[in-house]
Parts: sequence; structure tokens; C-alpha cells
Amino acid sequence: MAMNKSFPERRPLFLLVLILSSLLVLMSYQVRTRRGNTLLEDSLLNASAPLVKGASGSVGFVTGFWRGYVDLRGARKENRTLRSEMGAFEELGRRGEEYRRENLRLRDLLDLKASLETPSLAAEVLALGTSSQARTALINRGSKDGVRRDMPVVSRKGVVGRVISAGAGISKVQLLIDPNSGVAGLLQRTRGQGMVVGLGDRGCRMEYVSELEDVEVGDVVVTSSLDRIYPKGVTVGVVSSVTEGDQLTKNILIRPEVDFRHLEEVLVLLKGPDPAATLEPSR
Amino acid sequence: MIPFWRGILALLVAAGGQLLLSRYLPAAARTVDLYTVLVLYYAVTRRRVAVMVMGTAAGLTEDLLAGTVLGVNAFKKTLVGYVMGTLGTYFMLNQPLPRFGVLFLATILEALTGAGLALVLGQHAVLPSMGDLVRLGMGNGVAGIIAYWMASKME
Repeated sequence: MAMNKSFPERRPLFLLVLILSSLLVLMSYQVRTRRGNTLLEDSLLNASAPLVKGASGSVGFVTGFWRGYVDLRGARKENRTLRSEMGAFEELGRRGEEYRRENLRLRDLLDLKASLETPSLAAEVLALGTSSQARTALINRGSKDGVRRDMPVVSRKGVVGRVISAGAGISKVQLLIDPNSGVAGLLQRTRGQGMVVGLGDRGCRMEYVSELEDVEVGDVVVTSSLDRIYPKGVTVGVVSSVTEGDQLTKNILIRPEVDFRHLEEVLVLLKGPDPAATLEPSR
Repeated sequence: MIPFWRGILALLVAAGGQLLLSRYLPAAARTVDLYTVLVLYYAVTRRRVAVMVMGTAAGLTEDLLAGTVLGVNAFKKTLVGYVMGTLGTYFMLNQPLPRFGVLFLATILEALTGAGLALVLGQHAVLPSMGDLVRLGMGNGVAGIIAYWMASKME
């Protein structure tokens, strides 16, 4: 029932509360606590402490959040920059590695060139032809550099092939593994002779070797210069299998020393075929 | 005379009387609180709002003149005036004996309120001895009956 009282009826009570509260505040303003503050100050301090703490916490949270956000943005930007720089450095590193490897190859080529009695010309392989019938390569040297047809092409590892056509600044090289190529070979250990022909991706085969010839797997085959194209003593490859063939000959498969899939720099021997020209084998 | 000025006048009389008592009859001043008598007079004759206003005014005046913490007596007298005014709406307090009882009861209540207030404010709460309380209650009761009789004659 008391809940249903109207405001005028309750007014004295409200007034009482108001007056007493005001008086309490008035007293609190005068009474000092042991800490020297007025009771009002202490009460306000105590009352506002959770609010201040909350506000401080909120401000701290917001500030922390904002700082975290800003830091995150900075870190993101920095991360992007660092990634970009890392990419550039990686590219530089890759390029450096590429130069290092190229340098090694060219050094090898220089060593080979120095060891040759025949004048030679370094060339870069521009493209490798890999059709089923032909195994050819294009090099960046041509007739204006002195390159002519049938000039032998070698690398540090051994025979690469021979020039089959020479343009002004570009030449086509028939690789050792081309089915139509033929190189006069010599078994280094036994001095047995034969003809090395290409088999494409399977390597080469040495033909016309007598069945009486002592041939073992692992024997090194070098050029014999009897074809009047390649100088004598250039490594052709290593015997990978020996079987009995027909017509009193052996069936000898040779694994070329040159990796034709990764051919990059070669030497073109400028002097024409000279049976007298000899080379120290590279192995 | 309008009630406001009448109230001011009554307050001045009570304050003057209490000052005179404390100056010339200190022992009597300890047994009679004319401010309480005035507030209780309002409590039995006026509405509660008027009682509270008078209680606050009388208490503040007493605080100012007695040099106590401003608001202590105002708080006590406002609360006691309200309670007694509320009681007055339920009981017939126009006879001397009930009025004596109200004055006595109000004196006790005021003393208890003072002690409670001191506790709330963190001060030392000193409750008057029972003898002092009884003496003050009886003094207020007697002074009140005389004052109310005089006031009724003047109105």
C-alpha cells in the first residue's frame, strides 16, 4: 500500500532524505580523517576509486589496444618492406650464385682452352633442339667469328658435337647423341677402335669393335681423330654395358660424359680437322 | 505575523535563551535544550515539512553558536523532528503528559542519533550516562510543557 502513495504524500520523506544527505555532506566536509583529509574527500576518493580505476583501466586498455594496433600496422608495413627487401636479396643471392657457377664453368672452359693446342672460341648455348630425330644446339657464334661447318665443339667434360651449319652470328651444332652423328672412338685402356654413334637420350653406341677386344664396363672412350673432325684424345664417354653382338662384334653402350640437358658454355675448336692434333684427356 | 517570521522569532528566542542559560546557569543549560523543545513544539503542532525546516534551522544555529561540527545538531534535530512529527500524526499530543513523554523520548532519541552519527563520521562516540539522559529528558519535558503553555497563550 505504501508503494501506492503519491509524491505529495511522500514529499516529507524525500525532503528528509535530502536534508539529511546534505547535512552529512556538510559534516563530511569538516570532519578530518586520520590521514588528514576531510571525510568528504575520503568518501569521494573511495567512491570514485573504482570509477577511476575502471576509467584508468579502460584508458589503459584502449591505449594499449591502440598502441598494439599502431605497432601491428607498423610491423605489418615493416614486414612488407622486409619481405620485399628479402626478396630482392634472395634475387641478388640467386644472381650471385648464378654468376659464381657461371664463373666456375668459364674457369673450367678457360682451363680447357689453355690446355688445347688448337685455337678455340668460347660460345654460349642459346637453345637445345630435342626433337626425336635430331639432337642439336644453337650457339651464339657464327661465321663472322670464324666458325665453319664441321668444326668440333667440346666442353670441359668432353665431346659435345660438331658444327653442321654456321650463320653470321649463330651456328647449329649436331650433338654427340644425335642419331646421325658419328665420332671415331678409341678405347683408352685397350686402344681398340670403333665408331661412336648417337642414340638420343639413351647415350651412344660404339660400333665395329671386335668381339675379341677386351672391353669392360667403365672403360673410357676418347676420340681417335680418324674421322678428321675431332682432335685425338677428347673424352667421349664411359662404357656402361658390353654385350655380345652379331657379326663378330661387341655391342657396347656408352654413357657420354657431357650432360647434354645442362649444356651452357662450350668451346668451338677453330682449326679444321687435323689428325695430328691431340688433346690431353680430361679424365 | 506570517509563519516564517514567527519561526525566525521563535528560533531567536530559543537561541537567546540557550545562550543565556549556558552563560549564567550552566548547570541548567546541561539539563535543558531549548532548540529541541522548539523543534518538538513544531513536531506536535505543525506539519512535517515545517518541522524538518525548523529542525535544520535550529540545529545549524546551535552548531554555529556552540562551535560544534556544522550539521551535527541539525542532523539530529531534523531526524528527531521528523520522527516525532510522524508520531504526532498517530497520537494525540495536545495534552501535557503525552507531550512530556514525547519530549523525553525525543531527548533519548537525539542522544542515540548523536552517538550513531559520531560513529558514522569516524569520531569517538560518547553516549551520555543514563543519569544525564534522564535529567536532560526531564528537563526538556518540563521546559517544553511550560514553553508550549506559554506559546498556546500567545497564539
